[in-house]
Amino acid sequence: MAHPTPKQYIRVAIFLAVLTAVEVGLFYLEAGVDGVTPSMTSPALLILAAVKFLTVVGWFMHVKFERPLVSRFFSIGFVIALGVYAVVLTEMALAFARG
Amino acid sequence: MSAPHDVHESTGIENRKLAMWAFLSSEFLLFGAFISNYLLFKGRLPVTDALHPVNFYDIPFTSISSFVLLMSSLTMVLAHHALAEGDQGSARTWLLATAGLGVTFLGGQFFEFSEFFDAGAGLGVAPVWSSFFLLTGFHGTHVAVGVLMLVILFVISLRNDGLSEAQGLNLELVGLYWHFVDIIWIVIFTIIYLIP
Amino acid sequence: MAGTLTRPTRTVFRRPSSTDGFWGWVTTTDHKRIGILYGYSAFFGFLIGGIEALLIRLQLARPDNDFLSAAEYNTLMTTHGVIMVFLFVMPMAAAFFNYLLPLMIGARDVAFPRMNALSFWIFLFGALFVSSSFIFGTAGAPIGGNLPGGAETASWLGSGPNGGWFGYAPNSLTTYSPGSAMDYYTVGLQVLGLASLISSINFIVTILNMRAKGMKLLRMPVFVWMTFVTAFLLLFSLPIITAAVFMLMFDRQFGTVFYDAAAGGDPVLWQHLFWLFGHPEVYIIVLPAMGIVSEVLPTFSRKPLFGYSAVVFAGAAIGFLGFGVWAHHMYASGITPVAQAAFGLATMTIAVPTGIKIFNWLGTMWGGKIRFTTPMLFAIGFVSLFVIGGLSGVTHSIVPSNWQQTDTYYIVGHFHYVLFGGAVMGLFAGLYYYFPHLTGRMMNERIGKLQFWTMFTGMNLTFAPMHWLGLQGMPRRTWVWFEEMGRGVGLWNLVATIGAFTIATSVLIFAINFIRSKRNGTIAEIDPWDARTIEWSLPLPVPAYNFAETPTITKLDDFWHRKYGEDDEGRAVPRPDLAEYLARLVEDGRNPKEVIHLPAPSYFPFLVGVGIFFLAYGLAYLAAGTGLPLLVTGALIMIGSFVGWSVEPLEEPHDSQEVDAV
Repeated sequence: MAHPTPKQYIRVAIFLAVLTAVEVGLFYLEAGVDGVTPSMTSPALLILAAVKFLTVVGWFMHVKFERPLVSRFFSIGFVIALGVYAVVLTEMALAFARG
Repeated sequence: MSAPHDVHESTGIENRKLAMWAFLSSEFLLFGAFISNYLLFKGRLPVTDALHPVNFYDIPFTSISSFVLLMSSLTMVLAHHALAEGDQGSARTWLLATAGLGVTFLGGQFFEFSEFFDAGAGLGVAPVWSSFFLLTGFHGTHVAVGVLMLVILFVISLRNDGLSEAQGLNLELVGLYWHFVDIIWIVIFTIIYLIP
Repeated sequence: MAGTLTRPTRTVFRRPSSTDGFWGWVTTTDHKRIGILYGYSAFFGFLIGGIEALLIRLQLARPDNDFLSAAEYNTLMTTHGVIMVFLFVMPMAAAFFNYLLPLMIGARDVAFPRMNALSFWIFLFGALFVSSSFIFGTAGAPIGGNLPGGAETASWLGSGPNGGWFGYAPNSLTTYSPGSAMDYYTVGLQVLGLASLISSINFIVTILNMRAKGMKLLRMPVFVWMTFVTAFLLLFSLPIITAAVFMLMFDRQFGTVFYDAAAGGDPVLWQHLFWLFGHPEVYIIVLPAMGIVSEVLPTFSRKPLFGYSAVVFAGAAIGFLGFGVWAHHMYASGITPVAQAAFGLATMTIAVPTGIKIFNWLGTMWGGKIRFTTPMLFAIGFVSLFVIGGLSGVTHSIVPSNWQQTDTYYIVGHFHYVLFGGAVMGLFAGLYYYFPHLTGRMMNERIGKLQFWTMFTGMNLTFAPMHWLGLQGMPRRTWVWFEEMGRGVGLWNLVATIGAFTIATSVLIFAINFIRSKRNGTIAEIDPWDARTIEWSLPLPVPAYNFAETPTITKLDDFWHRKYGEDDEGRAVPRPDLAEYLARLVEDGRNPKEVIHLPAPSYFPFLVGVGIFFLAYGLAYLAAGTGLPLLVTGALIMIGSFVGWSVEPLEEPHDSQEVDAV
């Protein structure tokens, strides 16, 4: 499969930079504007981080252009990590709240 | 015939590349543990509110160093691309640029840590601080290892015949590692610094 | 196996030029020899861990005994666990992985031969490091605790790691374990984990990429599948324990407060992280044995494995579910009722794939023409004892019942049925089965059967009574028990001690049989067991290059189908030219048609191991101040060796290397 050109890479990097700027903007929105709460900005921040994450993995790490085995390989570790640590954190928070 | 490197690869993915992907996949579990620590302890405060890390963070400063690391992924991929095109000169330049951006990031982290220490933070001040320093320090160590590998590649590229085809694969592997360290920072920046 | 290499390239220093002698073993990159190195090291670990078990049993043979001091008991109990898990079962499984994996998939070697040697040397130096705590370590007098007789220090026997193999915080923190012994534990586990991580990546890549032509995934022997699952379990569980002990190291040495409740930390976090690794570890220990048994049972039943794909998928399912049951070790740690219910259910679920395997093994034997050879006896021993351990395990999934049993000898009895009755029996089946492969001689069958029955009897004598002891309320990890606990407790403790010495006798019989058979055993012909998988199509002992010509695989149990056809009723009928076919295999296998290039030996994996050895001491004593020079020395040796490694080609240039076909 054809690899991207430097121009495309630069466009991807600009995209990433813009997303980062939006993230920082959201942070200040929440910190400085009354009525904007973390419950509004946090999901947006998480989605932005996920988009940046996937963009770097897909373009810079070439996963878009590799055999599917690579992304499967990579996702197993991510999914197990997300799964087990989410359970640990939830359980420990609940147990802590019970005292 | 029949030497190990001649055996066809059943998956079509080069051995060392597959090994690198496996390694990076397992790294999720390592960083996951450290990120979880921070999330676990950030709501549990045995110290006063004023001593909580969120009151120490310098968001403009960290935003800039995050941006630096993000752009180092661009220079890394450009180095790889240049070498694939056979352009040794550009590859060398981009390699050096990547290492330079990495060092800049590390310098920023050093500055950040020393500011925090001066303001009364420390490994043992609270579990959340233990978590913060271990997580970001561990990530910083990864960046440092990456810089070391980049510098070695750069030194090799200075020789007369430049980077060979075999070292092209090395460069790709270092690149994968480097981008991985970058995506971990993307997660850290959002979860640790930006989300209150 | 001997070979001579000519004209080695000069890099940093001369490349090793011989594959013989001491340095031949130190510099080897041959997966078979690395497997043998793992095997001998692991067996040595088994002996040490076994002697510790005997000392523990002597202490517990009588009430109010003072054969061991409390400090000595703590160290022996801890290191018995650490040694048996990390320095015996895992490396013994690694021995089988290394030796068999390339042979079973028809490969010349593993994907990264030098990394493979590196794994071994890191493991060995890690093992030496942990063990050296007996000499250099100190238990220290815990605050608020006391050593018997008011003593401030313990004897050398009490100077090793003493916080249990599970290292529960806060007991493992400096308040209660002030000496350096637990620093050996925190650093040692990181070193051993690194070794296993490297080899797991190596095995995964080998299995995915190095298979011979036609060796599709679902044509691989079950042992290879179990290796594959085990490697993934290692890959994803080792980072968790590494993070956990890394944090413990920082808590102990550098003032972090992760597990320190007084400073706001949470000791339960350690339990979660430890068992997130610890439970997959159970499957890491038992899956290799399951793989071996799945090879042995079909061979000696003269039937294909019943439900091959079911066994494979059950193995994979165990691997995945293994990450979802960790909190059943923590029912008594104050976890929420929701978690108790959920983990109880998950634990019952994992019995399903295990049950599938057991039925498939029974189905394999059903209607087969069974030959009761020693490896077969051990395999059947595995199945029957593992069923007992598995069933008592299911009883633990039920929370109220678990609360009764937790921290009693019932648990000790249960997991020894799984680890000894399961893993150890399976590994012995493998040792007997593959002995001809390693040595070209047969193991003595009569002594072998004697050993099996001694071990089987001793095993049940030792561990079955522990169930009754536990139900009578005898706590585990206890240094003494008291006469007032009653006659039942006294009787069964004595029986368990007698059983432990029976096991020791059987291990002695094995050692004698091994040494005798290695010297004077009957010479093994090709395919001595009439086996099914392609590693048996090699002449014995196996030439250094494995297959003279890389095989092409057309079926599951390829070798069997080349030997046997079927009659109208599906019974196996030897092909008419069977004898000539086997003779031809020996002839062709020993005389390759072309020069075969093998990975050349290298000093660097060993040297990196030496560097890590120094590094480990440096880390353990870093906060004490004495560690820094050691750390720097180790790092320099390690980095220097890596640089030497990277400029040294894997193989010598082709014209300069010939390997004799002995």
